[in-house]
Order: sequence, then C-alpha cells, then structure tokens
Amino acid sequence: MSVAASSTQMAAPDGTKTLRVTDAQGLPRQPGSDRLFRLVCLTAVLAMMATLIGLVGSLVSGGWLALSHFGFSFFTTSTWDPVADQYGAAGPIVGTLATAFLALVLSLPVAVGVAVFLVEICPQAIGRWLAIAVELLAGIPSIVYGMWGLFVLAPWFAANVQLPLMMAATPGSWLETLFSGVPNGANIFTASLILAVMILPYMAAILRELLMSVPSHMREAAYGLGCTQREVVLRIMLPYVRKSAIGAVMLGLGRALGETMAVTFIIGNSHNFPHSLFDSGSTISSTIANEFTEATGDMHLSALIALGLVLFMITFVTIAAARLLLGRGGTK
Amino acid sequence: MSATAKPGMNYNRGLHLRRKIYNYIFLALTGIATAIALIALFLIMETLVVKGIAGMDLHVFTMSQPAPDMQGGLLNAIVGSLVMCAIGMVIALFVGILAGTWLAEYGDGTVLATVVRFLNDILISAPSILIGLFVYELLVRPFHGFSAAAGAVALALLAMPVATRATEDIMRLQPYALREAGMALGANRGLVIRSIIWRASTSGLMTGALLSFARISGETAPLLFTALGNPFLSFKLTQPMSALPTTIFQFAMSAYDDWQRLAWAGALLIAATVLTTNILGRALTRGSTQK
Amino acid sequence: MSFVEPTTDTPTVMIPPPQGDRVIDVHNLDFFYGKNQALWGVDLPVARNKVTALIGPSGCGKSTLLRTLNRIYDLYAGQTAKGEIMFDGENILDQAKNSEQLRARIGMVFQRPTPFPMSIYDNIAFGVRLHRSVAKAEMDEIVERSLVRAALWDEVKDKLNTSGLGLSGGQQQRLCVARGIAINPDVLLLDEPASALDPLSTAKLESTLMELKDSLTIVIVTHNLQQAARISDYTGFMLLGRMIEFRPSSDAFVSPETKAMQDYITGRFG
Repeated sequence: MSVAASSTQMAAPDGTKTLRVTDAQGLPRQPGSDRLFRLVCLTAVLAMMATLIGLVGSLVSGGWLALSHFGFSFFTTSTWDPVADQYGAAGPIVGTLATAFLALVLSLPVAVGVAVFLVEICPQAIGRWLAIAVELLAGIPSIVYGMWGLFVLAPWFAANVQLPLMMAATPGSWLETLFSGVPNGANIFTASLILAVMILPYMAAILRELLMSVPSHMREAAYGLGCTQREVVLRIMLPYVRKSAIGAVMLGLGRALGETMAVTFIIGNSHNFPHSLFDSGSTISSTIANEFTEATGDMHLSALIALGLVLFMITFVTIAAARLLLGRGGTK
Repeated sequence: MSATAKPGMNYNRGLHLRRKIYNYIFLALTGIATAIALIALFLIMETLVVKGIAGMDLHVFTMSQPAPDMQGGLLNAIVGSLVMCAIGMVIALFVGILAGTWLAEYGDGTVLATVVRFLNDILISAPSILIGLFVYELLVRPFHGFSAAAGAVALALLAMPVATRATEDIMRLQPYALREAGMALGANRGLVIRSIIWRASTSGLMTGALLSFARISGETAPLLFTALGNPFLSFKLTQPMSALPTTIFQFAMSAYDDWQRLAWAGALLIAATVLTTNILGRALTRGSTQK
Repeated sequence: MSFVEPTTDTPTVMIPPPQGDRVIDVHNLDFFYGKNQALWGVDLPVARNKVTALIGPSGCGKSTLLRTLNRIYDLYAGQTAKGEIMFDGENILDQAKNSEQLRARIGMVFQRPTPFPMSIYDNIAFGVRLHRSVAKAEMDEIVERSLVRAALWDEVKDKLNTSGLGLSGGQQQRLCVARGIAINPDVLLLDEPASALDPLSTAKLESTLMELKDSLTIVIVTHNLQQAARISDYTGFMLLGRMIEFRPSSDAFVSPETKAMQDYITGRFG
C-alpha cells in the first residue's frame, strides 16, 4: 500500500529545468495526503474496536436464548443434560475457577523462586541463557502440554499418587472425601497441575523482567547496608515491584482461566459438580471444545455460547485488573 | 561515641548468624524451585522429542490423513495450517500495522487511544476459544457451514492485537528527531511515517510479525468450530479445512496407535516451528538494537 | 582529552597521613572489569575522622576505587580486585564471606538518592534491624538521632510514617545519609552524593558531612573541585586508573606538584 514510491518532484510542464515541489496553492506536492493516511489508520483502529464489541455482542446474542430461558438457575444448578435440554453451568464454572486457582497456588511459589534465582542468585552468564530458555518455553503451544498430561502425567499419577493416597485415607474421614474419584489420573488436580506447569514459564518470565527493572542503585544501596540476598529480594526488590507483580500474577491467572487444550485432554470431562480433588470435572472452555461441533439443538448451542459469555466476563475482570496494575509497557 | 569502633559493636553475632542461615535457606529454596521447573519442563520436552521423532517419517509430509490402521501422514493438516496462517497473517498485519501506527503517531492524548490500547490488551489475553465462538457466530452460522475462510479470520483476529501492540512499541522506539527531520524537509506526517519511520522500523516489524505467527500457529481451540477439519487435502476456502493442531487433538484423543503416533509427530512439528519463529524474531530484534 | 597516558614512570606524589591515623590503607590495588584493567597499583591511605576526597576526570577510576572499599563490586560477575585493602588489621579482599559485616562498618551513599519503598522511619530502622535487635523505644531514639545528625529531623519529624519516596531529591539524599549513619559505621563512602542535587540541597548536605566528621571517617568521590576544597582534609587526584597525587587538601589546590594535577585543577582538561 506504499504510495510513497511515486516521485515528490515533477518537472514543470513548460519544459524548463526548474523542479516544482509545490502545487498551484503553494502546498508541498506529495503523494497521498496526511489526512487520508490518518483516516486509513483510524479505520484499522476502529476495526480493532469492532472486534471486541462484536465478540461481546455475539456472545450475548448467541447465549441469550439459554440465559433468558434458564435465568439465574443457569449459574446455580449443575444438571447439564443435552437429551432433556436442561442446562446448568455450575459444574464447569466451578471447575474453571478451581483449576485456575489451584494452578496458580501450585505455580506461583515456583515461578517466584525461578525469577529470583535467575536475576539475583545464579551467575549472570548462566542466568541469561536460562532466561531465554524459560521465555521460549512460555511460547510452546498448549496442546503439547495437554498431550503430555494425557499420555504421561495421568497414567503415572493414577498409579503412583492417586491409588496409594486413596488406599491410605481412612474410610469415612475427610481425607477420603478429598481423595475420592475414579483412579485414572484424569481429574481436577492433574488438570491444575498441567495448567501450573504451563503458566510457570510465562509467569517466571514476566516476574524476571519485573525484578530486572528494579534500578541497580536500589539493590546496591541495600547491599551497601549489609543486607543478605534474601533481605534484598524480600524486603526491597519485591516490594518495589509489588503492584506490577500482582498484575503479572493476574495475567497468569487469566491464562489459566481461559486455557482450553491443556485442560480438555486431562480433566475427565464430566459435567458433575466436582466434589473432591480427584473427581473428574470440566471447565467452561473444555465443555465448549468438546460439545460445540456436536451440539444439535438450538438450546444446547445457546447454552454453550452463554458459557463462553461467562468465561469472557471472568477473564475480562482478571485481565483488566492485571493491565491496570501493570500499567503500560508492562509486558506483552 | 568512640570513633575507634571495635568489631562486634555494630552488630549482634547471634542475629547475624540467624540472618545468614535464613539466607542460605532462601537460596536453597530458589534453587529447588528452579530445579523443579527445569525438570518438569525437561520431562515434557523429552517426551515430545522422543515420541515425536519416533512418529516422524517421510509419509508424514507426503500423505494425507489415513484411515485407522492404514498408512498416512499429515499433509492435509500441514497444508491447511499453512494456508490459514498465511491468510490470517496477511489480514492481521494489514490491520495491525495500520492500527499500531495510529496509536503511535496520531493517538497521543486522545481518549480513543487510551480505550483502544486497553481493549487491545484485553484481546491479547482473551481466551482464544472465545474468538472461535465469535467467528462461528459471524461467519459459520450465517453461511451455514464451516470453512477455511472462517478459520483464517479467527487466526487473524488472534494475531491482530499482537501485531498492533508490537507495531506501536517498535514505532515509539524511533527517535522523535527522525520525524522532525522529515517534517523539516516539508514532508507531511503521513509521508514521513510511511517512508521514514516504517523503514527504520523494518526489523522490529518483522519481529512483531514473527511473534504473532508464533502465537497463532499452535492455536487449536478457535479452529475447532470454524475450520472444523477435513480428512482430505483441500485448498477451497469455502470448505472445511484441516489444521495441524486440530488434527493432533483429534488423533491424540483417538484410540488408534497409528493416529497417536502421528499426533506426536505433529506436536513436535508445531513446537519446532514455534520455537524457530520465536528464536528468529528474537535474533532480529537483537540485531537491530545492537547498533 | 589531550594528555599523556600515565605509566609507571609518571611522576606521582604521596604525602599520606601518619601510619597510626589510618583507618583504611589501600596498597597496590588493581581492579578489573572482566579483562579490562581499570585500576593500576593504586595506594590510598584514609585518615581516621577526616574527609578524604577523590577527584579526577570522568573514567579515572575514582568511583571504582570507592566501590572496592566495601566490596559492593562483588554484586557483578567478572569484576575482580587484586592487592591489599587493610581495614582493622585484615585485608578485606580476602574475606568474601563477610561482606555483610563489612558493609555494616563501611556504609555507602550513592550518586542518586535511593530511598527504599517504605516509610521514612522504616528506611532507617530497616538497616539497624539487620544488624541488631532493638526495642521500639531505642529504635525511636536511633531514628531521631540519625535524622538530627543528617540535618533532616526538623523537616520530617511530623511525617515519619509517610513514604520516603515522597521527599525532595535533597531530602532523600540526606535520608540515605541518615540511614547510613544509623548503623553506626566506622567509615562512610559517598559516591558523588551531590551530583543530582540543586545548590541549596548541596550546601545542606555538605554542612551535614562536616558535622559528621567528628565521629566518622568519610571518603567522598566528587567531580566538583570547590566541593573537594571546601570539605576535605586530604585529596587524591586520579588519572586513567592511577593515583597521581595524594596530599593534604590545604595545599593540594594551591600548590599541586604534578603537571597532570595542575592541568586538571586549572581546568585545562577533564
């Protein structure tokens, strides 16, 4: 679309050698006016906006049938029965929140540890390479994590963790309730574990960038007082980036909430309300991924889109909070 | 206060020892965290490479999707991915670069810029499956059928915010003096942007393009109900088309060993593509910033 | 810059304080940034309860020298020091393990103010608590005394619990001085502490330093010759990583002996 190629200079029509660089009004003679270019750019911006508005609009209009039919009970009941055309989304909603928070709890301490280790503790030459590796791992498609979860983690987990725990738990105790489930490794906990591994490099990379942004004179001043590394990190550096760090965590949470492929493989895909850590369950995105193409009835389809709307609202709040905390120029 | 301070006067030995021990525990914990992370990620990569290479052969690239227990490959999926990613990238770059340009050059101080930047950040992190739902409502339902075109649009919508953001960030890196120098020659703003700022940002824009490509080439969820999938090699944009990630999903969830073998080969292919693209993108920026 | 690179033959002048008065004694110090040598056989005797100023053109190594005295260079891989820095009868370059104790005794104030992201009170209490367990009442006393000595008390006594980041640049720098002296160090190192300050704040900081001298040894790096002349007792002039001339300040600015220092203080280069 580059119109800049045509010449800015034109020989005067009367054949003299004078170059004319202005037009009749004395304005610079240039290809394409600034106003036009500006308008084209603005159109692109409006197209971007239209995308998000269209996204929300389509979710609302598509889900309206189900939402208006079931009303508030859509959120509070957990019967998901395409045959009877009864839809309650409590199971997937709770599954989404539970897996995402569990993943965050598992992954956050490790991510902080990794970021601190890379920035402040290991030799810089090694740290730099490890950091690049971590960032590259953050870009691996989630389907790879999902496959690993299905083929490697689930069988191993069932044989070596789930069964022994179920055997060990005293019958009737709260532990038994916590550990009950089908021992095939496809459950809420393993799904959270996979999510945790998936968001780990992502959060570690952002946290590392944040820690690197602490001005070196701040670190030096702390060491100059006689601080140990632990004190510099916990008392000076982390408080210094506190706000952005919370933003980074929210971003990780947003990722875990919306992830589809890593979870769909391994959560077990049952619509029941999950009652234990090792119960199979579903998330909003895994439900949509599994059923959307097979949904035949209008109500079923609408219920799935309404689920999407719920997911959008949950992630919107999370991401918006994260972005506000991170400010501009935080991270990609 | 005596000036000739003796050691031990300024600090308390017990406290100092305790701080030292806490520090060693802290150092050990971060080391352990790093070890856990590296081991977990190594295990995943190891499985991917071992199983992926085991599943790899020439047929993967020359034959299309087999029936269970027949010989076959991923040709239809690879081609489908390339076609849809290419179309998606063209749309995304066209809109993204222009929108990013507006934000960097014209938007400063306007409410619209603040709003768009915020919405763009939301779009970057929004769950990709929702983009799939949107395109389903937009292009699949009205035209009564899944199509490669819908898949390409879904990928475009995913790459667009990444490209916008990258463009804005890169263009802002260009010194303001460069713009002033261009305007001082009498060129209008638009011309300065197109012929000077864009040119100065070329390598950065390439990086942005590569990063957005890396983002969409592994995406599965938004294609599931837009492009759907197609067991045969197809180039028709109005027909369903297969893509590598959706095929992997279908094969991995199946009960057939051959399909699972192909799924691993495909996963390795995708991961390798994404890694290569990311590394290339990084190398490009490094080259341009180390002037 | 148009001067001859100093070599081992370059004339140097050392008029050091008497042996018994030295609190830090640097001998034959070499310093390396990776493979690049930045200091060449530097000597620096630091007299107790005096102000020693280090001057010289940019890149002469004066900040580098200062940063070896409390081993803060340890933070960066590839930076190494060889030679002898005697402090309290031991060579501090041999004691990699004890940098925390060392830094409790040799404090440092940096070029840019570095208030920590916490309240004014906690900025000072933080450093003290690292090295001693202190009851609340005593801590209040230490905080007040440090702020008084740093000539900041009157300005902040009503807002001790507000963030240190809310102070002006000059106030922040004096807060950093207060934080440094609160842990009662033997020596305070200052790396161009006034370079980011306006003239009024600079004057306040200087008078603070003059008062501290009664109980504290001060080493200050500065590019401001007037400042060095005003506040220092000894002056070291450095050039390209070498100590060229070291002598009492009373005559350093009046009758420097080496050609290089004459050129520098008359403004012929640097």
